Amino acid sequence: MNTLTISHLYAGVSGKEILHGVDITVKAGEVHAVMGPNGSGKSTLAQVLLGHPAYETYKRKGKTSKIFLGSKNIIPLPTEDRANMGLFLAFQAPVAIPGVTVMNLLRAAYEARHESKGGKKPKSVQNPVLARRFQVGGMPIGEFTDLVKSHAKILRITDDMLRRGIHDGFSGGEKKKIEMLQALVLPHTFAVFDEIDTGLDVDALRTVSKGIALLRKQGVGVIIITHYQRILRYVKPDVVHVLVAGRVVDRGDATLARRIEAKGYEKYLG
Amino acid sequence: MNTKSPIQGKYKYGFHKPENYVFKSKKGLDEEVVKSISAHKNEPAWMTERRLMAHMIFGKKKMPMWGADLSTINFDDIFYYIKPTEKGVSRWEDLPPEIRDTYDKIGIPEAEKKFLSGVSAQYESEVVYKSIQSALSKKGVIFLDMDSALREYPEIVRQYFGTVIPSGDNKFSALNTSVWSGGSFVYVPKGVHVDLPLQAYFRINAANMGQFERTLIIAEEGSYVHYVEGCTAPIYTTDSLHSAVVEIVVKKGARVRYTTIQNWSNNVYNLVTKRARVEEEGTMEWVDGNLGSKITMKYPSVYLMGRKARGEVLSIAYAGANQHQDAGGKAVHYASETTSQIISKSISRAGGRTSYRGLVEVFKGAKNCRSKVVCDALILDERSRSDTYPTMKINEHQTQIEHEATVSKIGDEQLFYLQSRGVTKAQAESMIVNGFIEPIVKELPLEYAVEMNRLIQLQMEGSVG
Repeated sequence: MNTLTISHLYAGVSGKEILHGVDITVKAGEVHAVMGPNGSGKSTLAQVLLGHPAYETYKRKGKTSKIFLGSKNIIPLPTEDRANMGLFLAFQAPVAIPGVTVMNLLRAAYEARHESKGGKKPKSVQNPVLARRFQVGGMPIGEFTDLVKSHAKILRITDDMLRRGIHDGFSGGEKKKIEMLQALVLPHTFAVFDEIDTGLDVDALRTVSKGIALLRKQGVGVIIITHYQRILRYVKPDVVHVLVAGRVVDRGDATLARRIEAKGYEKYLG
Repeated sequence: MNTKSPIQGKYKYGFHKPENYVFKSKKGLDEEVVKSISAHKNEPAWMTERRLMAHMIFGKKKMPMWGADLSTINFDDIFYYIKPTEKGVSRWEDLPPEIRDTYDKIGIPEAEKKFLSGVSAQYESEVVYKSIQSALSKKGVIFLDMDSALREYPEIVRQYFGTVIPSGDNKFSALNTSVWSGGSFVYVPKGVHVDLPLQAYFRINAANMGQFERTLIIAEEGSYVHYVEGCTAPIYTTDSLHSAVVEIVVKKGARVRYTTIQNWSNNVYNLVTKRARVEEEGTMEWVDGNLGSKITMKYPSVYLMGRKARGEVLSIAYAGANQHQDAGGKAVHYASETTSQIISKSISRAGGRTSYRGLVEVFKGAKNCRSKVVCDALILDERSRSDTYPTMKINEHQTQIEHEATVSKIGDEQLFYLQSRGVTKAQAESMIVNGFIEPIVKELPLEYAVEMNRLIQLQMEGSVG
């Protein structure tokens, strides 16, 4: 499973095609940037990768749309299976879920991954009162908490935030950090960051970039979806894809991002 | 999902216990039935009188014109009193597989399972019960089933019985008074703190789970007791009407907490009157969870009679397919500086319906009272429904009242978000629901809290589509 292959991807919402045949291949440990102006289909790409139920994929030119994790086409799989196979999405604008704390979510998600790999199911992981009696993903709960907290500390996430309902009343910057925290704590092989850089101040941007660098070092394949190249100053991408009006119109190395920064997308919009 | 949950309206009603009762009244209710119940129990004359009077009132009282639809109750088709044999005789294997399955999934011990399912009347923790009992009696605490209490402490029972909820309060309190059987009697002497929660199911008594149980708790000055009844495991019963009365007397400076978790099978009408009279500086706390039944109408009440008395109602209601939970609370402020709080959380799913119904009343002359009502509803799908019927009768200007109500729905984006983290849709729903009720669940005794969460999970996993 060391490649993520997006192949011949036609996708949209209720019959309205937004992506018109996208092909992108990411290898483990690579960082790819998908850049494009507003409305080019960047977020659609992110949602389709995880199988958002509102989005559909189409058969075009006699071929169906495919997304491979390794050799497995994940298009027919439900969202949770894709996640447990190692695909992660950091949301651009994550919803608030009152009552489900960040810590509880991390625990449930970690456990789900563990179970999907044939790990033993514990009695219950959702009750915060009893959870300490149990293991999370085969590790004692205390150890798991330490793991979370060590990452939280790097991202400057307070314990209080871990105990709050996920994204419930969080600022824009805090939301991004919580998304990054999940990316770091939950084991996966490919991570997609949808506009992780918007709304971040320089310090937060540096912190988040550090996280991406760490993932790359761990051999995770990363796709950074962004409008600007700001974050790409801190994380040097191996490949830059330019997505305009649902098509990849240009590809190149990190220098392509800089050219776009200087000249904008005008050249492609003609 | 192929996980079947028995709380989905899939009970097999064909299951029945073998018919070997010591005594069984005929179907339907008339004076003869009432007399025979009383006679069978060798009750004192005053109780027989009380029953007969209540029976007369029951005949005259109209059905409530509000609340859930009770038109399908057939009072003539009910056995009002059945005394089972001393020992349970049916086999665990005879229980509907869904029930056994749920017991297994909640993870309650074997012995407890058999007791709860009615297979065994001899709960194996009888020993435990006896040792608790002796510890209690050293402090002068009385903890008995109501029938025994009437035999052993007739004077105390007579002094308080029906003083908080008179027979004429409503049709169902009249019904209960005329045919009551079982229930608990708790008496806590002045200044005594009962440290462990008193659990109804430790009482080794088949009458425990009666249809018309009657509970009376008296907490003398400065005492404290926490009483816990019911359990999260589904209570399987062939009786279709459960109509209990719970009366609590909280004396000066005393504190009583009464926790109920009820999960009747889905054929049951659960119509319960619960009320506490709270004297000066006393505190009453109701924690009330309703999961099962076809229809529940239950509004634990606090009557704040003395200065600085305090009452709290925490209520959780869950309504699945073909269920209507009409629940809430009542706080009646008779005295100055009394405070009350009603917090209600309801969940409706798969076409279920929840209603919050509440009353806050402040009498003229009761100055500087405070009351806070919070009712939150969570609706899981388009077919389900939730309503609120708050009533406020405030007859004193110097009163501070707060009322908050929210209705929320589980959004597709929330589910997608959680699923994108690897949990299934059913798990995602149960996480959201458990998060929603967490503020109340954390007030439950630990084992109940755990079971409650498990049960919510089971409900979601058993979801149809």
